Amino acid sequence: MAVTDRALDTLGEPAERAERRWLTASRDFVRRRPLGALGALVIVIMSVVAALAGVIAPYDPLATDYGAMLGAPGAPHWLGTDAFGRDVLSRMIYGSRTALLVGLGASFFGATLGALLGVASAYFGGRVDLVMERFMDILLSFPLIILALAVVAVLGTGIVNVTLAIAIPMVPRCARVVRSTALAIREMPYVDAARAAGFGHGRIIMRHMLPNVMAPYLIMLTAFLGQAILLEASLSFLGLGVQEPTAAWGLMLRGAAVEFAETAPWMAFFPGLAISLAVFAFNLFGDSLRDALDPRLRTQ
Amino acid sequence: MTKYVVKRLLLMIPTLIGVAVLIFLLLRVVPGDVVEARYVGGSGQFSSKEVMAAERARLGLDRPLWTQFGTWMLGLLRGDLGISMWTGAPITEEIRLRFALSLQLAVMATVVATLLAIPLGIVAALKQDSWTDYAVRVFSIAGLAMPSFWLGILLILGLLIVFRWLPPMVYTPFWVDPWQNLAQLIWPALAVGYRYSAVATRMTRSAMLEVLREDYIRTAKAKGLWLKLILVRHALKNAMLPVLTVIGLEFAFLLGGLVVTEQVFNLNGLGLLFVEAIAHRDYTLTQALVLLVAFVFILVNFLTDVAYAWLDPRIRYR
Repeated sequence: MAVTDRALDTLGEPAERAERRWLTASRDFVRRRPLGALGALVIVIMSVVAALAGVIAPYDPLATDYGAMLGAPGAPHWLGTDAFGRDVLSRMIYGSRTALLVGLGASFFGATLGALLGVASAYFGGRVDLVMERFMDILLSFPLIILALAVVAVLGTGIVNVTLAIAIPMVPRCARVVRSTALAIREMPYVDAARAAGFGHGRIIMRHMLPNVMAPYLIMLTAFLGQAILLEASLSFLGLGVQEPTAAWGLMLRGAAVEFAETAPWMAFFPGLAISLAVFAFNLFGDSLRDALDPRLRTQ
Repeated sequence: MTKYVVKRLLLMIPTLIGVAVLIFLLLRVVPGDVVEARYVGGSGQFSSKEVMAAERARLGLDRPLWTQFGTWMLGLLRGDLGISMWTGAPITEEIRLRFALSLQLAVMATVVATLLAIPLGIVAALKQDSWTDYAVRVFSIAGLAMPSFWLGILLILGLLIVFRWLPPMVYTPFWVDPWQNLAQLIWPALAVGYRYSAVATRMTRSAMLEVLREDYIRTAKAKGLWLKLILVRHALKNAMLPVLTVIGLEFAFLLGGLVVTEQVFNLNGLGLLFVEAIAHRDYTLTQALVLLVAFVFILVNFLTDVAYAWLDPRIRYR
């Protein structure tokens, strides 16, 4: 049993070779898909900025300065100040943390749960599949933002609840796509072999099927990232997302930014630019990754 | 065909019931209700237990869940959506007031999106891998990336700074003063339409590329047909199917999903009503709105599927 076990489970690749393969694949990606690489570059920069926010940000993002309210861009506040005299640049830098945290958290959670459900649905088939599919149908009949709002209505606001609220609408979308791939995998001889070897359902799903739906999973995950960031900004803008005084891009566009748009346009301009750039980068990267991973979906 | 249509129509019913059950339960599993939202929030001087219990009894919130659900369903069968727990007005009335605005905006945004998407998609496909193609693709990806509420703020700001003019902020129905009405609604329609043109542009492009490779296009070219004629008669007609689907689905989304854009342009549409209903924990109104949006979504889905099957005889009905 031990031998079959290893033969069926290990991917049989030394770490060193895997590393080299990654390097080659990345180089190939950059050469063939410059737009995707550009997106990746922006994402890397954004992540570094978010990680080092404490070092880079010139001011405390929460520090109010009533002497410098609605200050125009220029020294000492490069991108100006808001209605409470808070430094816009610093709030944007800290806001990238919120965006990445919610974006990554929601996409990861939503796509993973979706993949698990999709694979399980395909693996068990029959009645389980039917019930699961109908349930996904129900979830899919809500527009993205409406379902997210409904979940916020149930859970309440705040960063964790918002992450969940964004993740849940993504679950059925990922489950759908992963299920269709998993249906084909279920018929593969190695799944039969695993079943013949007497492995449990859980083990077959987790170790034999899930690793083989990585391509659609990654595609959905990256496709969700941009949407998740946009959705977080929208919810925060409505006042139903991340709450003040936390620095979040959508929140920065709310209230005073609209009221004083004429006298202090920088308050609304820069955070919106940050959202657009981040989503743009994630979409570029996601598109290119999809083209690279799944030739069938390639946009010609 | 008839069998397929009837089957699809019947399948809508369990999905809608599922939506109803789901939203009904979701709303009620969490602590806090409309009575609490009204009496406990704010000054809280009325938070005596008796008053709140009486109010709950008046709204029927003290009855068992299945009775509440049954009452709702029976009302729906008679076409009665019930009464808003917050305002006390009939929900049909609350929705009717806003539906005209949301519908008009959705139609206008769809027109803007279509007018942008189809020409851009065709041009990008014809000049594949050229600078024009790249420019169109970047333009459409940018549309997906920009939050439409931010685009809205920029539009208003641009009008204010360049023309020293602000669009009217009070809604005028189209039949009262068409000019005033369009002067207000064209801006959100542009902001939203641009965003929603992105998906349709990409769909047009890839559908056109696929069709242009077909044998019958080569034949038409070999016959020496005029290029414009080939494009319109032979290519576009065949490429439009998937584009129609995408546009149809987006229209359904626009009807209920413009929550954020309405906020920016101070429009009292369905989206705003929805946010208010959630904030007030107005169960009946939230339920009705969710069901309405889901219904439109499913209906448009169904209609596009049927149109698709009808227009393309190659599709088999299962």
